[in-house]
Amino acid sequence: MTARLRRSPAASPLDDDDLLCEILLRLPPQPSSLPRASLVCKRWRRLVSDTGFSRRFRLRHRRNPPLLGFFDRDLSFSPTLEAPNRVPPGRFSLQRDDDDDDRFVPLGCRHGLVLIYIPARLQILVWDPVTADQHYIAIPPAVAACPGKARINGAVFRAAGDVQHFQVVSVMAYGDDHQHRRALACVYSSKTGLWGDPISTPLPYRAVQADAISVPTLVFADDAVLAGDSLHWLLAGNFNGILEFDLEKQRLAVIRLPEEVNCLKLVRAEGGGLGLLGRSVTNCMTQLWKRESNCDGVAPWVLGRTIDLDRILSVKPELKGTFAGATAILGLAEDNNLLLLWTITGLVVIHLESLKFKKLFRTNTFFQYHAFEGVYTAAETDIAGGHDGANLWHST
Amino acid sequence: MATREAGKKMIMLKSPDGMEFEVEEAVAMESQTIRKMIEDDCADTAILIPNINSKILSRVIEYCNKHVPTTGATGAAASDTVAPAALAEDLKIWDAEFIKVNRATRFDLIQAASYLNIKGLLDLTSQTTIDTISDNSLEEIRSFLSTKNDYLPEEEQTIRRENQWAFQ
Repeated sequence: MTARLRRSPAASPLDDDDLLCEILLRLPPQPSSLPRASLVCKRWRRLVSDTGFSRRFRLRHRRNPPLLGFFDRDLSFSPTLEAPNRVPPGRFSLQRDDDDDDRFVPLGCRHGLVLIYIPARLQILVWDPVTADQHYIAIPPAVAACPGKARINGAVFRAAGDVQHFQVVSVMAYGDDHQHRRALACVYSSKTGLWGDPISTPLPYRAVQADAISVPTLVFADDAVLAGDSLHWLLAGNFNGILEFDLEKQRLAVIRLPEEVNCLKLVRAEGGGLGLLGRSVTNCMTQLWKRESNCDGVAPWVLGRTIDLDRILSVKPELKGTFAGATAILGLAEDNNLLLLWTITGLVVIHLESLKFKKLFRTNTFFQYHAFEGVYTAAETDIAGGHDGANLWHST
Repeated sequence: MATREAGKKMIMLKSPDGMEFEVEEAVAMESQTIRKMIEDDCADTAILIPNINSKILSRVIEYCNKHVPTTGATGAAASDTVAPAALAEDLKIWDAEFIKVNRATRFDLIQAASYLNIKGLLDLTSQTTIDTISDNSLEEIRSFLSTKNDYLPEEEQTIRRENQWAFQ
């Protein structure tokens, strides 16, 4: 018996929509790819504008999204790519009502989404700058009701293999009694439109002299770093350490910092685990530390490399230790492994592994910047995956 | 139904121009389409592959032969001595040579890869096509892919204006 395969292929792969899509999916993730493909002919435009195509394109490039630029604390966008991939600031501007003058606090970006906290309304906004979708979420009651809380921090992310839905983890430290502060986390899923049960853990307390001013431990106002299966935030105040939220086990834990350095920035280490950039307490050199898991489940810190930033950035020896010779770390693009630094000559992005760097623009302000890494697609898609649509107000 | 223990079980692939190719079942099963037929017991000994001529089918078989996992009964010799990274590097070099074909053959290979559902071959052929056109102008892309510009000049202008930055 001879078996037959069914279905005849089209004359040329380019005449078959499915095959042409297969080919076009391999376009590089640079922002100009799809707009340029759109201009080849009407059929190409129809294919690359399709929601399903956008989704597959983003999924395909999920691991290698380009760094499109940085958002500052006022949510203005500064592109970092060169033309024709330089998305202008106006393309990524958050649409707000004219009479809306509430403060919008960016908490960080991930997987093409920006997370914003609106303190006056006890709301969180998840914004997709590419599609302009906005998704407002009320802070969970468990978080809103916490006594003695500092500001809320959080992180947005999409689960592996899912470019439709997103999740938000909100975290904070709370408790009136400085000696018995706790950290609290709550996870929101756009799939269900609900917050999960609050998860909490006690925070360590470092004994201080009776006459010293006691500063409560809080979650530091810096972007979270996703490394391995966990999100990480720096803790500051009485206890300097790291707050870890394990996405898999849905568990909060506290990680101690290595004692040999003052932590400057949490990063993603080579191999994908948690790393940190620190300044050595003995010689002031910038060091890259890596957290290594051993078989006991204990993960001690290991010194990786020492990075001579002054030499890399060619800081003149006579300027060392002065304002003109200073550098400050302003942001991290975790998928691209790039740090944003401030120097007197302008902002610089530096690749943590190769140490290659690129000068951006000159600025006298050095506030925190939020790296925006993502894939630019042409289609209008609903960031929440069609659960609620955009611009819906939640009352959870 | 065939089992892996059979090791060298052979299967016959027929092209519409009358050529027959006897291949190891494991090699044929690099094609998910053929795998499904075998697993569903739809194929005894011979499978007719319509619309893929013998020239292309032989190239596809060549690809599958190279990419069939070397662990297990079919090719144990290689995997014992060569490190996985070296194997992957070797495959990459082999792929680069394999895909040095003219445009018509590449398009035929894309169709065959899609039709027979061979992911690696579809990746290789599609990616090579995209890499060929990526740095070219719109005119060059249209002419290379024999695609006609069906926009009116004003339509083209409107689309350019939508994302002006992408055409700088």
